[in-house]
Amino acid sequence: MIIVMRMGATSKEIGDVIKRVEELGFRPHLSAGVERTIVGVIGDERPLQPDQWELLPGVERVVRILQPFKLASRDFHPDPTVIRINGVTKLADARQKDPQDTSPMAARPQVSIGGDEVVVIAGPCAVESREQILETAHAVKEAGAKILRGGAFKPRTSPYSFQGHGEYGLQLLAEAREATGLPICTEVMAPGEVPLVAAYADILQIGTRNMQNYALLHAVGESHRPVLLKRGMMSTIEELLMAAEYILSHGNYHVMLCERGISTFEKYTRNTLDINAVPALKQLSHLPVIVDPSHATGKWDLVDAASRAAIAAGADGLIVEVHPDPARAMSDGAQSLKPEKFAQMMSNLKRIAEAVDRKM
Amino acid sequence: MVIIMRMGATTKEIGDVIQRVEDQGFKAHPVYGVERTIIGVIGDDRPRDPTAYEALAGVERVMRVLHPFKLASRDFHPENTIFRLNGLTVGGDELVVMAGPCAVESREQILETAQVVKEAGAKILRGGAFKPRTSPYSFQGLGEYGLKLLAEARAATGLLIATEVISTRDVPLVAEYADILQIGTRNMQNYALLHAVGEARRPVLLKRGMMSTIEELLMAAEYILSHGNNRVMLCERGIRTFEKYTRNTLDINAIPALKQLSHLPVIVDPSHGTGKWDLVHPVSMAAIAAGADGLIIEVHPHPEDALSDGVQSLRPDNFARLMDDLRQLAPVVRRTL
Repeated sequence: MIIVMRMGATSKEIGDVIKRVEELGFRPHLSAGVERTIVGVIGDERPLQPDQWELLPGVERVVRILQPFKLASRDFHPDPTVIRINGVTKLADARQKDPQDTSPMAARPQVSIGGDEVVVIAGPCAVESREQILETAHAVKEAGAKILRGGAFKPRTSPYSFQGHGEYGLQLLAEAREATGLPICTEVMAPGEVPLVAAYADILQIGTRNMQNYALLHAVGESHRPVLLKRGMMSTIEELLMAAEYILSHGNYHVMLCERGISTFEKYTRNTLDINAVPALKQLSHLPVIVDPSHATGKWDLVDAASRAAIAAGADGLIVEVHPDPARAMSDGAQSLKPEKFAQMMSNLKRIAEAVDRKM
Repeated sequence: MVIIMRMGATTKEIGDVIQRVEDQGFKAHPVYGVERTIIGVIGDDRPRDPTAYEALAGVERVMRVLHPFKLASRDFHPENTIFRLNGLTVGGDELVVMAGPCAVESREQILETAQVVKEAGAKILRGGAFKPRTSPYSFQGLGEYGLKLLAEARAATGLLIATEVISTRDVPLVAEYADILQIGTRNMQNYALLHAVGEARRPVLLKRGMMSTIEELLMAAEYILSHGNNRVMLCERGIRTFEKYTRNTLDINAIPALKQLSHLPVIVDPSHGTGKWDLVHPVSMAAIAAGADGLIIEVHPHPEDALSDGVQSLRPDNFARLMDDLRQLAPVVRRTL
C-alpha cells in the first residue's frame, strides 16, 4: 500500500502516519519528493482498509499494491486449475459394476475443464418441458457438447415472466442426463436451495445477478459441486475474482469464471462481450474461464462470431443457449441457436481450437 | 417510423398526428390496440427528425424502423466493399495488417520499425505525425517532418502509409504523403473533418469514438461516403466502460454486427482496445476469428523509450510471433495472410 500525503503536509502529520503504520506491524518506507511525500507500507496489506488511512490528517489518498484476492490469484497458484466433472456417484458405480454396459451412462467420458480441451456447455435457457429438454440434450450431444445447461430456477428481470419449473425442472434435467450421459449445469438462486440443486446437478451455476450474493457464495463454497460463477453485468474483473475468492475461501476450489458480457452504452447488443477479460482473467487467475456468447450478444446471429473470438482469445469453454424452437422459447429465444446452427458452429469451432493448439 | 400514442390519447390528437404525417407526404397506418394506438409512417422517413413528432400532443414516443444510414448500409449495397491499394486488397479474402509506432519519433525509429514490421508480414506502416493527445503538455507529434520520415520509410520498404489527420486544414498536406488517412477516435464526430476527408482521394480509416455507438460510427462513415469518398474502413478500437483494468473494452460484438449492418471493411485496433501489450496477442486472434478484415497494431522497437503508448506497444519479436499465429488462424476463417 502506498500512502500519498497532501502537498504541504506537516512533518507531524507525516510522523503520525509512520507511527500508525508501525503500530499495525508494518514497515514504513518514506520517500520525500519535490511536491509530495509518499509513505510505502511493507507487508501483506490485504486485511487493511485503504480508505481508513485517508481519514488521517495530511493524507491525500491511498493506493493498493497487492491484488485483494489471494486464493483465486495466479501468484499463489501458478498452475491452471483443471476441474473434473465426474457426475453423480450412481453413474460412476454403474460403470464400475458392469464393464459390458453399453448404455450412454456407461460410455460417458469424463469431462475436464481448464485443460487442453475446450468444453462446450449447451442447452436451453430454461427447462420448459420433458420433450424440449430431452430433444435439446440429444441434439447438443450429437453436435459435440459435453455438458447440458438448462434453468430450473430462473432469475427473471420481471416478476411476471416465467420463473422456471423448480424441482420438477431438476428431475427433467436428471432424466436428460440418464438418457444422454451429459452432466448437467443449472442455476441455484437461494442458499436454502443449494442442497436440493446439488443433489441433481453436476455443476452449480451462480447467475450474473447473484455474483455478489455473499450468502449464496458461502453456501456453494461449502457444497461439493463445481461452480460456474457468472460475472455480474455491472461488475469489474476484480470484483469477479473477489466473488470467486469467497467460494474458494469456504473450501470449494472447483470454480469456473464466466464472462457473459457487461452493460455498456452500446444498446445494439444486449451486452458487450468483454473479450479483454478472457486473457486478463487467465493472467490474473488459475481458474478456468468460460464465455457465454448468448447473453454477451443477445442476438443469435452474433453468437457464432463471438464464440470463435472467445476460443481464439484463450477461453477454456463456452456456455451456449440452444433451443429446438427459439421462436416459441419461454425465455431468451432471440439469443438461442437452433440445433442445426449449433452443429454448424461446433464444426467451425473445432478448427479454431486447433489453430490455438487446443482440442475440442 | 412508428408513432406510439399515449394511453388515453384523444381521437382528435390521433387525427392531428395522422394529418401531419400525410401533410409531409407519407402514408399513415394507424393500429388501434387495447391500451395504446400506434401509427405507422410509411415511406423513406430518413430526413425526418423523429423527435419532432414527439412534440405533438398525445404522442408518447417515436421509434425508427429504418436505419438512419443508407450509403453505409448493406441493405443498399449487399456486396462487400473491396478496394485495391497498390496491389493490396482491402475487404477481400486477404487480411490487412497495419503496424508501427504510435508516433513517428525519429528517422531511426521509424525506419527500424518499418523494416521489422515488413519482415513480419505487415503491409501497411502506421505512425502518427499529428498526435491528438489528452494533455496539451504531451508530445504532439513531428508534424510535416514526421510525414517526410514516413514517406522515406515507404520508399525504403515499399509499405503503404496510414497516418492520422486532425484538422481540416491539414488534409491536403497529409493526403500528399499518406496512402490512408486516419480519423482518430476523438474526431469521429468532427463533421468538418469528415467532410474534408470525404472530398479527399485517399481511403479513410475511421476510428470509432470511444464513447460512440455502432450506429453513430456508421453515421460518421455515412458523412464521408456522402461526400463522394467510397473507400472507408471502419475501425473498432475499444469503448469506454466501467472496467478500468484495461484502457478500453474491445467491443468484439461490434465486428460481426458491423459486417452485418454494413458492406465496409472492419479493422480492429487491439492496442487501444486493451491498452496492455500482453493482451494484444489473444485479442488480435479473437478479432480475426470474429471476422475482422484487418488489424492495426502498435509496434515499437523499444517500448520503454516510446514517447506515447509504450505500454500497449509490441516489441518486434512479439509482433512476429503474433503474425505467425495469425497465419495459422487465417485459413480457418477462410482468409489469407
